[in-house]
Amino acid sequence: MLSLLSNPTILGQIVVNGLSLSAIYVLVALGFTLLFGIMRVVNFAHGEFVMLGGFALYYLYGMLHLPWLLALVLGALAVAVPSLLLEWLVFRWFYQKMFQSMIGLLGLSMVLMFTGLLVWDAYERNIPRAFDFMIKTHGVILPADRLVTIGAALATLGGFYLFMVHTRAGLAMRAAAQDVEIAETQGINTRRIYQLAFFVAILLAALAGGLYGQIYAVSPFMGERPLLVAFVVVILGGMGSIPGAALGGVILGFTESVLGTLYGGSAAAYASFSVVILLLIFRPWGLLGTPE
Amino acid sequence: MAQQTGDGMTQGPALALALRAPRSRAIKYGLSVAAAVFLLVWPLFVHDRFLYHMAITLLLAAIGASSLHLIIRTGHVSLCHAAFLGVGAYICVNLVMRLKLPFAVGILAGAGGAALLALAIGPIILRLTGKYFVLVTFLFGEIVRMVFVDWQSLTGGANGILEIPPPSPFFADPQHYYYLALALSALCVGLCARILTSEIGRAIDSIREGEQLAECAGVPVIRIKVMVFVIACGLVGFEGGVQAHYSHYVSPQAYSITESLNFIIINVIGGMTSLVGPLLGTGFIVITPELLRGYVELQQIIFGAILILVMAFLPGGLAGLGGRVQWLMGRARGAMRP
Repeated sequence: MLSLLSNPTILGQIVVNGLSLSAIYVLVALGFTLLFGIMRVVNFAHGEFVMLGGFALYYLYGMLHLPWLLALVLGALAVAVPSLLLEWLVFRWFYQKMFQSMIGLLGLSMVLMFTGLLVWDAYERNIPRAFDFMIKTHGVILPADRLVTIGAALATLGGFYLFMVHTRAGLAMRAAAQDVEIAETQGINTRRIYQLAFFVAILLAALAGGLYGQIYAVSPFMGERPLLVAFVVVILGGMGSIPGAALGGVILGFTESVLGTLYGGSAAAYASFSVVILLLIFRPWGLLGTPE
Repeated sequence: MAQQTGDGMTQGPALALALRAPRSRAIKYGLSVAAAVFLLVWPLFVHDRFLYHMAITLLLAAIGASSLHLIIRTGHVSLCHAAFLGVGAYICVNLVMRLKLPFAVGILAGAGGAALLALAIGPIILRLTGKYFVLVTFLFGEIVRMVFVDWQSLTGGANGILEIPPPSPFFADPQHYYYLALALSALCVGLCARILTSEIGRAIDSIREGEQLAECAGVPVIRIKVMVFVIACGLVGFEGGVQAHYSHYVSPQAYSITESLNFIIINVIGGMTSLVGPLLGTGFIVITPELLRGYVELQQIIFGAILILVMAFLPGGLAGLGGRVQWLMGRARGAMRP
């Protein structure tokens, strides 16, 4: 089996798959960890925002044939802006209430998923590929589609990093993540920060949904797997830790790509879940998190 | 605590309380006896297959719900309760259908198997608290479901196992099965109630309220948590076997996260502070779908909305609704006084 790794085509495929999976996972997990780190909310409905992002891209790109990049950005905004209403209706009641948020947002997940089922039915739809040519270099064949996915995700991550590190709003968010009360005494309007963090988190999830839906397929149930992934990634890296989410996403993406290519999808799933359970038992705060 | 009735105001709270306590206890006993008589007698007068089916579903679901209630009372929310339901069901079905063992042996072995699995993982995962426990059980439930799908020789894979026979030709009659379910359900729920009212029950409550304090006071915290977890998972495994032989069909779908979630919903909606909660919640969850038949999606949406509302505004659940109303009325009365 391992001898397959010496084959440049397969190796290239593993690397490209690993990178594109990692990039999407990091996008999903970043929002999840942001909501947890700042508002102490465990967003069990995160997968549903990924699903909505997938449908947004399906309509804007697949049906209306807008330019791909525009459709991707507009689609994410089309999910994140109306979601602010959900923030006002549902999320704000659960801020700083971890346990209640888990169960309450499981409820929100059911509401969104089955509303999706009512509207769109259960069958899977495909978003047409943005680019369907191959790039051949040094005997390695790379699908352009995947490379663009990686590029879009990396650009988003870069933007997110700049926003968090170089803007006042990002600074305020990091302060609120460290200690809400002290941040408030320093004059930070935490209500605004919560809204902003929520908006950013949903934007990232919806963007990931578009990319994810384009690789696999779009259906009302497509959010289940990204939610599981977000869990695994965030636990790996440490709940609430932003660098942790990035590290966890890369680890999981590559593990799945390698094990999935060599031994099949369920082997990859067993391995990643088992590792995470072990990690939870021995180091529950994750690789880069801090113990409470 | 000093909830004064209108006429008891001048005598002071102590007297009002003294008058209240025996009366409310009498009401409680009266209600329980009436409920027991009703449950025993109604099938003799009503011969409706559909009502039998509803009642059996309700009675069996009550086992799982009240056993999860035991775990919740220790302060842990398990998201893999349906996994143990499945373990019990698959063990029981395999023993009965392949090895031709009697039904009674099958369900007991199913319960035992589920309890053993709980005993194997309990001491490890019960050291985690709060969100970490929820996450671990969420992932564990998913692993068990994947095993059900992948272990095709024993579980029939994603298609499941069909044509599971009734326990005996006698129990093919739904009326007879109703009495079987009633007896088993009463046994299991009674066991839960007995545990909660015993000394162990007080230890359980003390663990939930303050684990470290309980430990300091000499409560063997981890041992009690493991014991409760093992008993609860054994009970739900027991339900699994009985249920499989009633529905004649098992598949991994029936033991997924969604089902675990249903047990949680039952407890959350009913209320998590007393055993009445899961029983009320079971009634609600089993009966509502029948009222919304043909609108499965709508039903899930309504359940979801209820979960949000209960978690945001009504932490006591339906069982806490009475107290909540009383509290609000008391406050209104207090506000009216000068």
